[in-house]
Amino acid sequence: MPVYAYLLLSFVLFLIGTSGVILRRNALIVLMSIELQLNAGNLAFLSFARAPGDQKGNVFTFFVIALAAAEAAVGLAILVGIFRTRQTANLDEITLMKR
Amino acid sequence: VLETLSLTDVSPPEIAVFVILALGTLGGALYTITRRNPVTAVMSLVATFFALAALYATLDAHFVAVLQVLVYAGAIMVLFIFVVMILNREEVQPISFKGIVTRALGVMAVAYISYLGAWVVWSQRAQKGSAIASLLNSGSAAPPVGYGTVSGVGMSMFREFVFPFEAISLLLLVAIVGGLIVSRSAHQTELAEERARHIEEVRAKAGPEIKLLPGGEPAEGADDAHAAAGHH
Repeated sequence: MPVYAYLLLSFVLFLIGTSGVILRRNALIVLMSIELQLNAGNLAFLSFARAPGDQKGNVFTFFVIALAAAEAAVGLAILVGIFRTRQTANLDEITLMKR
Repeated sequence: VLETLSLTDVSPPEIAVFVILALGTLGGALYTITRRNPVTAVMSLVATFFALAALYATLDAHFVAVLQVLVYAGAIMVLFIFVVMILNREEVQPISFKGIVTRALGVMAVAYISYLGAWVVWSQRAQKGSAIASLLNSGSAAPPVGYGTVSGVGMSMFREFVFPFEAISLLLLVAIVGGLIVSRSAHQTELAEERARHIEEVRAKAGPEIKLLPGGEPAEGADDAHAAAGHH
């Protein structure tokens, strides 16, 4: 398949992920939407790497996957910590740093 | 139609596979962000990641496709499932209506940016003869030998990207330590502080030579040393 088809798919996937981040109030779903956004970026990296046959895009995707793993670990740990102290995973109620 | 989409040299099965995988990816993603039950959302996200891994495989990125299944569908999603089990709350109102106008504006802005990006790709693709168009329309030619395999990617990673690779290992270490510290409960912190205070007390009583077991108790024979230090 030509590169542009993958790119269009990547744009739509990123849009879905961002909508999830903005619209949802469950912190867990927001973290999952961030994973969707990162995967949309991976798809664009790989489709651009494929046409010229350059391996660097694959290496970058590897780094993004490692980064996503670190982000998920820390994000979920923060979520568990917040849930322990405040008994909620609702982002509208976690407003301590607003005041 | 195939001519305008520059699909003339793409075989019909390939198109069919791409369409199925793309629909699976988008459907899974939409299902993920609309579910009320977090377990359903996680499961559909796993399905999305499997479809994405297959898409990566159609892009000849075999190594990354395997990584996607192992790391994303395996490790990260198991982590998510664990946290879902800890939290285990049904949402009353999954969509947040607090500040809905701002949120809707944000979604519209992102939709507009995505539309612009897609429009740029689509219009550049149609420009006959330009370098960008030939890049965007390419994809059917076979990649160089070793492209996307473990050895090919490994060669690139350990020749050109050794420093970022080591930096990533440091990042993962920081993430492990940070995750442990952040998710620690207040009770555990209290216990650890108490243990540390106990160790300090024993050390202060016994002088600097005493050997301590990990729990903070003096090691065997240390009682004599303690007594000697006391009489001294």
